Amino acid sequence: MSLVSGPGRAGGNALPEELQLAIEPHVKYIQSLDTRKDELEYWLTEHLRLNGLYWGLNALHLLNRPDALHRKETIDFVLSCQADNGGFGAAPGHDAHLLYTASAVQILAMVDGFGELEKRGKAGGAMAVGKYIAALQNRKTGTFAGDEWGEEDTRFICCAFVGLSLLKLLQFVDVEKAVDYIISCANFDGGYGVAPGAESHSGQIFACCAALTIARRLDTVEKDKLGMWLSERQVEGGGLNGRPEKLEDVCYSWWVSSSLSMIGRLHWIDGGKLSRFILNCQDTEHGGLADRPGDMVDVFHTNFGLAGLALLEFDGLEEVDAAYCMPKKVIERVLGPGYYNDS
Amino acid sequence: MGKYEGDPEWDDVVPIPQDDGEGALAQIAYTDEYAEAMGYLRAVMAAKEHSERVLDLTEHIISMNAAHYTVWLYRASTIFALNADVEQELSWVNDVALDNQKNYQIWHHRQLLVDHLYPSISSDPNAIRKFAESEVDFMTQMFDEDAKNYHVWSYRQYLVRKLNLFTEAELKSIETLLRIDVRNNSAWSHRFYVVFSDPKYSTPGSHATEYDPKIPDEIIDREIEFSKAATFEAPQNQSPWNYLRGVLRKGGRKLSSQECFAGEFVKIPENGEEDIRSSHALDFLADVWAEEGKVEKADEALRLLGDKYDRIRKNYWDWRRGTLKEEGITKGLAKVELAH
Repeated sequence: MSLVSGPGRAGGNALPEELQLAIEPHVKYIQSLDTRKDELEYWLTEHLRLNGLYWGLNALHLLNRPDALHRKETIDFVLSCQADNGGFGAAPGHDAHLLYTASAVQILAMVDGFGELEKRGKAGGAMAVGKYIAALQNRKTGTFAGDEWGEEDTRFICCAFVGLSLLKLLQFVDVEKAVDYIISCANFDGGYGVAPGAESHSGQIFACCAALTIARRLDTVEKDKLGMWLSERQVEGGGLNGRPEKLEDVCYSWWVSSSLSMIGRLHWIDGGKLSRFILNCQDTEHGGLADRPGDMVDVFHTNFGLAGLALLEFDGLEEVDAAYCMPKKVIERVLGPGYYNDS
Repeated sequence: MGKYEGDPEWDDVVPIPQDDGEGALAQIAYTDEYAEAMGYLRAVMAAKEHSERVLDLTEHIISMNAAHYTVWLYRASTIFALNADVEQELSWVNDVALDNQKNYQIWHHRQLLVDHLYPSISSDPNAIRKFAESEVDFMTQMFDEDAKNYHVWSYRQYLVRKLNLFTEAELKSIETLLRIDVRNNSAWSHRFYVVFSDPKYSTPGSHATEYDPKIPDEIIDREIEFSKAATFEAPQNQSPWNYLRGVLRKGGRKLSSQECFAGEFVKIPENGEEDIRSSHALDFLADVWAEEGKVEKADEALRLLGDKYDRIRKNYWDWRRGTLKEEGITKGLAKVELAH
């Protein structure tokens, strides 16, 4: 899955009544990404390969085209990224890291590949992955390191919870302690940062809300204060930014609106204006979405733009789960048909 | 012939080519220079070699691709294995960081280096001060490029904790950045951290959202004045308004203590056109008036916000109006019950 941007650029000149979702071009665009191995940047972005596969595959699922990538090749590639310690690296031979381990589990969940993980994964199958993740929890503070080198980031708690819960191994870790850590990251403005006291950032807020959703501990969030801060991210043009006084960007259509959705306040922003902003970030001819109109498209923004539209229940897209950033269908298949009734 | 293939220093190493599955090799057309260097890296990693030439090799690869996480990790382990000069490494990393503003791996590398260096200077206050100064100088250069770089600010906070930089100099340095751009939310956030986590007077472990009875009144007063001055400079800047609310909460003070101040930016006459210089002030006053039980005034402020001054979030303001009425009814009922 190439992470190279382009070739197309987002249009952005369409009149409101012309704004449509270019489903077929987006599917073709994502399918074409793995045929671009002759570009230098394909190799320079190798450190994101597994994330990229998740972004592309999730986008295809949301577009109702789950079979657009070859299932066996997908599973083969994911398993080829697994390291001896049970975790996954970005690509074969790369060091294992929680960021890629979460993507690996998400991809396997989407293609119904947990059976293959048991059969062909490193010894122990899901258990090996669970143990790898569990070993990264800091038992004193509750937070998670990204790998054995110890860097800590609230994103890693989210990755750990996403991976473990999909494998039904959340009991491997001290969930309460991790929740306490997230609580300690709440800022005076209502948001959350990368660590206690670090500036509020929409991406980190998503990570914290997603982890709390999975732990069923959203009761710890000051929802009105956080919702207020998140809704302030919408700018006049309809797009959302990640922090005050920054430019809007399609990926925040996801980080911000999914967080608002998790705390039950998505209706506080103008969904119509946001949809129009996202649609304006498409290259309707060659497919793909960019960070904002006029820029080059890439698979990261394609996924999060489509996920944002799906969250706004845009016609023609699958329903998306706000915490997992995956189709609700998949979550129900993995976690049981009652999942959305219990929560 | 490649750079390494023709270098006698590397004669003993057989590079390991990329194996990206069947048929993929033929398609790889990424530059020969990068491919060759990566081949040698795989070989030295397989042999667990940590040597000077590994430092040269990783430097070469990083110059082509600074985002390769594994290369950075292997470089760090090599530096520690060789006990190489950390300060020299830091100065090289400075240049790489300045050339790669968005890079994230560099900052993790830097933290590993500082963690490694720290025990050797921890007992010497002078050495710590000197080190802190050079780090701040470097960050200032980074901020010249992008004063809101999240990685740099995260690193800065780590450094404040690590080196105990809850100092006047740190506050001054933040003020300088705010003088350049009073809307720099990152600087505001960092100030809040430095002021309210200072171990000299704060309650250890007190959350950012909590009242901390140990914070001296003069600190609370000083911070209130600081945010006010910035607000006069740019009334529609949300950072100091958020900051003010945060300070009041830390100090356990009511929003209504700042009613007069917020009123400077909001004039709503009985008759005629209102004059609103800041939607944040109007929002602040709506909360003050709700706090004081002046439901009608609060409602009017919220209506103006939704209809006129912040229309994109009309749903939010309408929701606030709804809860205001509910609370009003609850309070009213409570009064009726008391009367009975």
